[in-house]
Amino acid sequence: MTSLITTLLPSRSLNKGIPAEFGFHVGVLGVMATKRALKAVLIDLSGTLHVEDTAVPGAQEALNRLRQASVAVKFVTNTTKECKRNLLARLISLNFDIKEHEIFTSLTAARSLVEQRQLRPLLLVEDSALEDFSGMEISEPNAVVIGLAPDHFNYHTMNEAFRLLLDGAPLIAIHKARYYKRKDGLALGPGPFVTGLEYAADCQATVVGKPQGTFFLEALRDMDCCAEEALMIGDDARDDVGGAQNTGMLGILVRTGKYRLGDEGKINPPPYLTCDSFPQAVDHILQHLTCN
Amino acid sequence: MFSIEKTTLTASPPFWCRFKTTYPSEIFYAHALSVCYTSAMAATSWEDSVKSLKGVILDMCGVLYDAGEDGGTPIPGSVEAVKRLRASDLKLRFCTNETQATREKFVAKLQRMGFEISVSEVFSPAPAAVAILKERGLRPHLLVHDDVVPEFDHVEKTNPNCVVIGDAAEKFSYQNLNTAFRVLIGLEDPVLFSLGRGKYYKEDDGLNLDVGVYMKALEYACDVEAEVIGKPAPMFFQKVLDDMGIPSHESLMIGDDLVNDVGGAQECGMKGVQVRTGKYRPIDEKHPTVTADGYVNNLAEAVETILKLRGQ
Repeated sequence: MTSLITTLLPSRSLNKGIPAEFGFHVGVLGVMATKRALKAVLIDLSGTLHVEDTAVPGAQEALNRLRQASVAVKFVTNTTKECKRNLLARLISLNFDIKEHEIFTSLTAARSLVEQRQLRPLLLVEDSALEDFSGMEISEPNAVVIGLAPDHFNYHTMNEAFRLLLDGAPLIAIHKARYYKRKDGLALGPGPFVTGLEYAADCQATVVGKPQGTFFLEALRDMDCCAEEALMIGDDARDDVGGAQNTGMLGILVRTGKYRLGDEGKINPPPYLTCDSFPQAVDHILQHLTCN
Repeated sequence: MFSIEKTTLTASPPFWCRFKTTYPSEIFYAHALSVCYTSAMAATSWEDSVKSLKGVILDMCGVLYDAGEDGGTPIPGSVEAVKRLRASDLKLRFCTNETQATREKFVAKLQRMGFEISVSEVFSPAPAAVAILKERGLRPHLLVHDDVVPEFDHVEKTNPNCVVIGDAAEKFSYQNLNTAFRVLIGLEDPVLFSLGRGKYYKEDDGLNLDVGVYMKALEYACDVEAEVIGKPAPMFFQKVLDDMGIPSHESLMIGDDLVNDVGGAQECGMKGVQVRTGKYRPIDEKHPTVTADGYVNNLAEAVETILKLRGQ
């Protein structure tokens, strides 16, 4: 990890022409390394700040500490089951200090793609997520939008989607996560069902959520910062950390939520940092990556 | 085009060529290699090879009958075509990826439709799976159709250390798939068997998803590669050839699934003909990697051609 920090940071900071006064030097095992000028932190929700209705211990207080540093914060989530309003309500009930405009979800990204392409989607999303698609034309569907929808992943509905795809309808996946963590254990995400439909109809889904690079960049758009000046914290090695790092961001993997032993080895390059939980990630940022 | 595709396949065998069971996989690679060069050189119409033919293998659903709510209906001319083949000097076997019933019940259904057929002539994945499980001492979690469960009656299933999926149709619910997923993800070395890898099949009301789709789903979820039992695994075809005692180049496979019936048979060195019934779709004839040795409108037409060319 040490060598990664020392090799990645100076070259990236220099390449991007960040003025020297924004960076400063820290000694890591006797090696001098330039500190990156961090401007924004993207934070995953489910599995990182909370697992279902329980907050990760110390996460609220850690978020408050992070907000006191000179970095912008945004919450990016592939939670496709819920509309923004429900997400916010849960976070507030868990005492997180979060505003609705700080949340960027894959449902928002999906809706804007469907509107751009003027499609009439068959919506394989949970009823609780439908609110974010209200007002859209959905009769005589000519596209399939698929999120995490256990209630719709029955044989009948999967066949209905498959037949549309075979007739040439595009497949839009809100994300392709393999699985997620529930109170009763790991549970399948939408990814396996998307992959199955792709195989059945010989087609390729357009993925709009994490780990797509466009998703992370879209989230940063109104934050006046480039990927090299941002960091992503999440519990999914591939979708959170790998996806963000591919755009040039730093990625921190937390060992909460869906994390399983050895996940950090699943991506190349490995996570910038792996730590026990969100509060430790914040500690690291405050100690090593910010000026105050 | 044909020879290039085939050569590509030998350089990097598709995963179903890497089928592991009793035979070392090298045998399959070597076999596939020799086969591919042979078929590349002899890329002629299947009709030219009819005279030297010694045996015919028929796919069942989509060739003999169309599946449906009431158990299905025979495809016009197929009952008579089977009768004619049986009366000829050709050996005849049936090879199916059917996993919605035990072999006995399945054969009984076809007999009721008028087909002359016996259980010993039919090769299906479930009995092959049972043999593999016993040989490797594996205890399966089953995600299969209720009606095929009896095939696994004598297999130990407590504390499962592998998953077997078949065409479970209505049983392919999120809940059931999740249960299978949890078994796999909880294993140190996840082992997934798939009874066939078909994409879809035809029922009265249209095309329906087949087991391959859910195999892909579990493969993706658990980062594993399934071991396919049934077509197009070369070993499955080889077992049928062994039973007939006929070398592959003297046998013909007739099926409605271009990739699994025709392509699978060709990989074994057999000729493969596609019928334009069942799940057949016109774009099959422009498939990028699999080209059938011939296309016929239905089984009756195939049999008529075969017997005519052989002077019978």
